[in-house]
Amino acid sequence: MLEPQIVVRGLSKTYRVPERNPGVGAALRSLIQRSYRSVEAVRDVSFNVAAGEVVGFIGPNGAGKTTTLKMLSGLLHPTAGEVVVMGEVPWERRPAYLRRISMVLGNKSQMLWDIPPLDSFRLLGEIYSVPPAQFRETLDELVALLELAPLLSKPVRTLSLGERMKCELVAGLLHRPAVLFLDEPTLGLDVSTQGRLRRFLGAYNRRNDVTMILTSHYMADVVALCPRVILIHHGILLYDGELDGLAHTLAPFKLIRVGLSSASQCALDLPGGVELLQRTNGSLALRVARELAPRITAQLLNTLPVVDLSVEDPPIEAVIDQIYQGDGDQEARL
Amino acid sequence: MHYLRLIRSFIDVAFQNALAYRINFWVSLLHSILDLGTGILALMVLFSQVEAIRGWTLPATLALLGTYLLLGALRRLFIGPSLEALAGMDGEIWVGTFDFTLLRPVNVQFLASVRTWQPLAVLDLLLGAVVLLTASLRLGRALALVQVLYFIVTLLAAVAILYALLLAFSALVFWSPGLLFTWLFNALFQMARYPVGLYPGWLRLVLTWVVPVGVMTTVPAQALAGGLSLGMLLGSLGLAGGLFCGASLLFRTGLRRYASASS
Amino acid sequence: MNLRGGWALIQRTWLSWLQHRSFFFLLAFGWMVPPLIYLFVWSTAAGAGTAGGLRRGEFVAYYLVLILVNQLTYSQTNWTVGDTIRHGGMNTLLLRPLSPIFDALASELAGKVVYMAFVLPVTAGLALILRPELQVTLQGGLAFVPTLAMAWALRFFWGYALALLAFWATRADALLAVQDALIFLLAGQVAPIRLLPAPLHQVAVILPFRYMLGFPVEVLTGQLETDGLPTGLALQLGWLLVALVLFSMLWRAGVRRYAAVGG
Repeated sequence: MLEPQIVVRGLSKTYRVPERNPGVGAALRSLIQRSYRSVEAVRDVSFNVAAGEVVGFIGPNGAGKTTTLKMLSGLLHPTAGEVVVMGEVPWERRPAYLRRISMVLGNKSQMLWDIPPLDSFRLLGEIYSVPPAQFRETLDELVALLELAPLLSKPVRTLSLGERMKCELVAGLLHRPAVLFLDEPTLGLDVSTQGRLRRFLGAYNRRNDVTMILTSHYMADVVALCPRVILIHHGILLYDGELDGLAHTLAPFKLIRVGLSSASQCALDLPGGVELLQRTNGSLALRVARELAPRITAQLLNTLPVVDLSVEDPPIEAVIDQIYQGDGDQEARL
Repeated sequence: MHYLRLIRSFIDVAFQNALAYRINFWVSLLHSILDLGTGILALMVLFSQVEAIRGWTLPATLALLGTYLLLGALRRLFIGPSLEALAGMDGEIWVGTFDFTLLRPVNVQFLASVRTWQPLAVLDLLLGAVVLLTASLRLGRALALVQVLYFIVTLLAAVAILYALLLAFSALVFWSPGLLFTWLFNALFQMARYPVGLYPGWLRLVLTWVVPVGVMTTVPAQALAGGLSLGMLLGSLGLAGGLFCGASLLFRTGLRRYASASS
Repeated sequence: MNLRGGWALIQRTWLSWLQHRSFFFLLAFGWMVPPLIYLFVWSTAAGAGTAGGLRRGEFVAYYLVLILVNQLTYSQTNWTVGDTIRHGGMNTLLLRPLSPIFDALASELAGKVVYMAFVLPVTAGLALILRPELQVTLQGGLAFVPTLAMAWALRFFWGYALALLAFWATRADALLAVQDALIFLLAGQVAPIRLLPAPLHQVAVILPFRYMLGFPVEVLTGQLETDGLPTGLALQLGWLLVALVLFSMLWRAGVRRYAAVGG
């Protein structure tokens, strides 16, 4: 087992945020005295990441994903706990560390607005002291991969959101970072652009062995890119492991879809522990506890005119949605 | 070396930015001329009523105005736009893109101070120099070399003071992101249009010791007009050094605060 | 007229301004400084005697009143209207069942309250320290209110009309800067109008700028020549009518153009 590239131990972050009630009176009162409350954004989170891994951070808005990402990149000091990335403590922000990481934020731009991307790239090359030959080579490679060539000389403000995001990626990768933090990289993009960016990131990871940590609201991003996911909710790490295992652990159900031969109105006599989700003329959708699935399947095959039967894990979005919507609200429809 | 090359790259980018909006050249020229014109006319109106105020004659006050314009131009050239891009309205702290700056493998204070240039401010620089030249001609006697030397030294000290003050005012944004502290400085900086000696005692103390904008223009103008003591020269150098260190310290403390408090 | 909507808008504007009060206090401070500088410069120039026939205390009174009048008549909406037009915000405004002038009026009214909350205590404090000499005659006091109201209206509509040029030209705000410079020189900020040298004085009396700011101040502080009030009132009224006509013409033409070009 290799020494992990990123080590996170007992990481916690508490914010103090000002509070104010609506209305003129409260506005006047807040002139004199501000009241604060503490928000525990991240609580005692621990995990390791090996070099070259792609890890997806998932969780609802305000779960603490971005805060964790910012502590990993060195933008934020934690309240407690330790982080070591490639032997460095991120928030010391030593140049040697900063040259080996990069961050791409889907909702913020590091491109200069009024000039063509190429000039922004050159400036970044200077800032990161990328040797000219390596700069050319990296830029050519990225431009080819992302099909950016025709955009290089247009002012950034004239580019579309998707084109700009491609530029953001180039900007983030020019200095060949060993670790890449991606915060919502596909935010607001259309489906096909999202797909293209995903394919690019996957190819780039395989080719350059770059470690990637990604947060996204689009499960498709995570499914396509991340063999491993870390689920954070209310600042707590709920799950860390393979994406496939997420459903096993968090949603102990299987979906059984049954196709029936005749439009039989036969009386359904469902065994206990089975919930009917949907019934049309020719089909049934059932939800059963995971451990009951084999027995129930056999029962169904014996008692109904089945022409088609499938047993599935619930779709990952549904599992996530169930967690997001409420703590242990098992009644959420799958 | 790396840092000098970086500055060059920033200036390159600034030129491209300036060329992107050509109409701004004329607007900027108009502003410069208005600023200069109102400044000079204000002096003419004042000195049409009195010969001299507290020992300041028209040429000496004109020299001070020239210094003021020169400092203002230097400020507009890079200090102002850079720090405005950090702490001003639509600045990085306001918009949230400061994260990228923090992640650069370059000294953050350096980056934040020289990053944005306004090449058009060279116009103001020229106009200020013309006013200074006119003033020194009208001062009526040949300038001794040592006077010019003193002037240059005190002007450099003034630039350092200006930079330190602006940096300090911008750093306050880390504590209160909604406040435009650079605006406050703008207002105070205007007071440097006139010699500190013209203000009442309490204000003179504020403008010398609390927010030393008065020192920035009064001392170099005195150097040119020939009323500068060695003590004042050393004093302004000391002040410049002290303020520079103090402001850098404040900035660094602010950065730490930002890293522990922002969301 | 949609008065209920207008009132709701004013309330909302006021509430949101209150939240950013420190920002607006800063703005108000910034606007106070230039007249304050000339207050100090002129009272120092007068010293124990007079400058241009005015005593120190009279200068103090003149400028303190001017600071208040300036704050009351300055309409920063003129700057925001241009921005709104340029950034396409007019679409939203034109879609509302409420004339966009209400937006400007709402922020005017809200602004005045917030600014006054800052400027009144500060000027009162300054008055205590600087001991102005102010004798208000009955005539002056009575005439002050309408001249102030007209000064506000003139400055508001004049500025709004200029801002509407943004429908045609991208950098129309350059004109607003020219207007500010002219107000600075010719409306009594640099010096009371009567201290301006001869040609400048005549120009100042004829042009509209004095009637946006300096005129009510002169009325209250009793600085008008004997027949100054009726002529001044006539000129102020005349310019106000011109401004109103200009405004309504530009507004109509501008909206038509906006609809035709599509913003």
